[in-house]
Amino acid sequence: MTFRAQWQLFYRDKWLFSCLTWVPILLALSIWAIFFHGTARDLPIGVVDLSHSQLSRTISRQLDASATLAVNDNYSDVSQAKNALISGDIYAYVVIPGQFDRDIYRGQSPQISAFYNSQYILVGKLVSSAIISAVGTANAQIEVLGSLSDGNTTTQSAVGRALTIRTQITPLFNKNTNYTQFLVSAIIPALWQIFIVAGTILIITANAANKGAAAGSTRLSVGQVMTTLSFYIPLFLLQGALFLLWFYVGFDWPMNGSFVALLFAQFVTCIACMIMGAFFYFLTHDAARAISVAGAFTAPSFAFMGITFPVTDMNTAALIWRSLLPISHYIEVQVSQVSYGVSWIVALTQLLPMLGYLLPLFLTYLLITKRRNSSELAV
Amino acid sequence: MKKLALLMLEIKAIMGNSAVVLTMFAGVIFYSFLYPLPYANQTPREQNISIVNLDKSQASYQLERMVDATPQITVVQRDYSIKAAEEALLTHRNNGISGISGILVIPEHFYKDLLLGKSPVLAYAGDASFFLVYGTIIEGLANAGSTLAAKTKVSHLLTQGLPVDYAGDHVSSVKLNMKPTFNPGMGYIHYVVPAVFVLILQQTLAMAAGLMGGTQKSGHGYWRQYSSGQVFAVRSITLVGIYVFLSLYYFGVGFEMYGINRLADIPTMLAILMPFLLSTCFIGIWLGAILPRRELVTFVVLISSMPLIFSAGVIWPLEIIPSPIIWLSSLFPSTPAIQAFVAANQMGATLYQIMDKLLLLWGLTFLWGVVAFISFKRSNESD
Repeated sequence: MTFRAQWQLFYRDKWLFSCLTWVPILLALSIWAIFFHGTARDLPIGVVDLSHSQLSRTISRQLDASATLAVNDNYSDVSQAKNALISGDIYAYVVIPGQFDRDIYRGQSPQISAFYNSQYILVGKLVSSAIISAVGTANAQIEVLGSLSDGNTTTQSAVGRALTIRTQITPLFNKNTNYTQFLVSAIIPALWQIFIVAGTILIITANAANKGAAAGSTRLSVGQVMTTLSFYIPLFLLQGALFLLWFYVGFDWPMNGSFVALLFAQFVTCIACMIMGAFFYFLTHDAARAISVAGAFTAPSFAFMGITFPVTDMNTAALIWRSLLPISHYIEVQVSQVSYGVSWIVALTQLLPMLGYLLPLFLTYLLITKRRNSSELAV
Repeated sequence: MKKLALLMLEIKAIMGNSAVVLTMFAGVIFYSFLYPLPYANQTPREQNISIVNLDKSQASYQLERMVDATPQITVVQRDYSIKAAEEALLTHRNNGISGISGILVIPEHFYKDLLLGKSPVLAYAGDASFFLVYGTIIEGLANAGSTLAAKTKVSHLLTQGLPVDYAGDHVSSVKLNMKPTFNPGMGYIHYVVPAVFVLILQQTLAMAAGLMGGTQKSGHGYWRQYSSGQVFAVRSITLVGIYVFLSLYYFGVGFEMYGINRLADIPTMLAILMPFLLSTCFIGIWLGAILPRRELVTFVVLISSMPLIFSAGVIWPLEIIPSPIIWLSSLFPSTPAIQAFVAANQMGATLYQIMDKLLLLWGLTFLWGVVAFISFKRSNESD
């Protein structure tokens, strides 16, 4: 089939056209919109202040002053706060005991309890570290005042006594620890993979239907499948290039590596995904079943990428499944290029496992020729 | 009698449709093993770091041991200058080996400053490309640092002549007791799986319902002989019936398998499940009716999965998702259902506490029911 004829088929089939053009863009934008605010701010928490003293209000104010937290409610008893936590109105509540100020003045170290919702790990971790640091600051203030009131120290030494060890933490490669950059730059490639694998199936289906009748798919030859699919490689590569452009030029996220290496990795990934799509199609010879299988293959790939949960902590079965997914090899190249700026030789070695897709390619070849031969015999 | 015959025909059609069976049974069971797989170890542990000890004092070596002893961190190497450690971090990355993820620098005169009460500063630099690794290391360092700080304080107090008991109690003027609630081990499976399982149920049910309609769109069969209303009702009842059992598998066997809490009682579960499955089934029927080819149903549902899971408010907090996105995602049953199931099962919420989500689910059931019925009738009665 000529490129011209393929273009007409592609353009006339409004659903195929949409699924490969504006739908992926719309979806990518929606993912970006979800994570638009890259840092969690003003997460609601509650305070149960049983002491109602000046010192307990210092704690409360210090919590509210944290960028991550916002003290939305004050509860008069613990059960109210607990219910609010269960209903999801607040992510944590802090209980300041009665006689808090008296205990402090007597040097009896009262205990503040903070109950935070760890079901939502991401929020839970943010909230808990914000509470620790806010209470730590309040604690230091109280201690400094205490030392100064003893009258035998300077302010600086009093501060030193209060905070015996300080830590200075420098995040490398994602300087403002921004979740947008962290999540979007991994979710979009995962989506891209879904679109290539499922899109390949839709393309072959459209072409098979074009050949006429239900037996259409058996009439496609290996050569025809390859020419047809090669028509769409530039389209998928364009999508890949667009998201790179969007991330590292549009958003101006730090990019330390080479675009050439990334584009090459995308090319290899795209071919691998198309092989898998074609493999699923000719394995099932039915578009709906093929997309179901493709879904099982690609849909969980974000979890296996190792961006949220580290690869080093996955078990062997998970690692095996991970290595079957084209996008997990791609994301290694992307992270090492973007964050660490490694040389292109490393990128090439990271892509070596992709040679494994020659096996499904070979199987697809066998599947196509076998079907074709048997259908020719039947005719 | 005629209705019973229709039910039998419908069940036969569902079981005879290989795409539906593949999606529904094989899909649901396969996913129940695949999704939790990467998180089998629950929490990342023993992340590799390098230590640059410029102080070489007794206290600094003690700190090294304390850092190494935390469950979060393993000290895999020691470098003699910051430069060397930096290079080690980068060369590991360069060779694609997952080597060290961070560097801890103990400054010169650390011990002296500590004794003088001058608050020495520990410097840590870590790879923040992977948040969970980064967060884990920070957590471990904070633990080790505060333990050493407490020890130092106690020895300060002891040198001032205070008794040991008193000193132990007065490490800080306020004690803070942090209680992780609902998921005390901070396990990743407990975080992701309860939400993802609900989404899988929705996506596979919508696909199955859509595939049924898509398959029967061209061709003639029992669905043309009965009224659209009857076929619509029987199809919804059959699919929802099957999904009640599949849901039992997820919330029963599945949760049991991964040790996930199921605090909700059966009536509460059913109260959420009913509107959830019904509205989902209606969306599927609607998709099957409006999309011209059945593979498009699977495609559309497949690509919607990621936006739906991330906007449901469990993985990423609702407070910081822009409101238009929340309105959009509230049109799909997965959003209120995930919130309701997680609240009821993981946090022990009562029906009253999730009433708003239940009302939304019933609203969606009504809305999608009307939309689905109109488009199904139109599609079923045209040729």
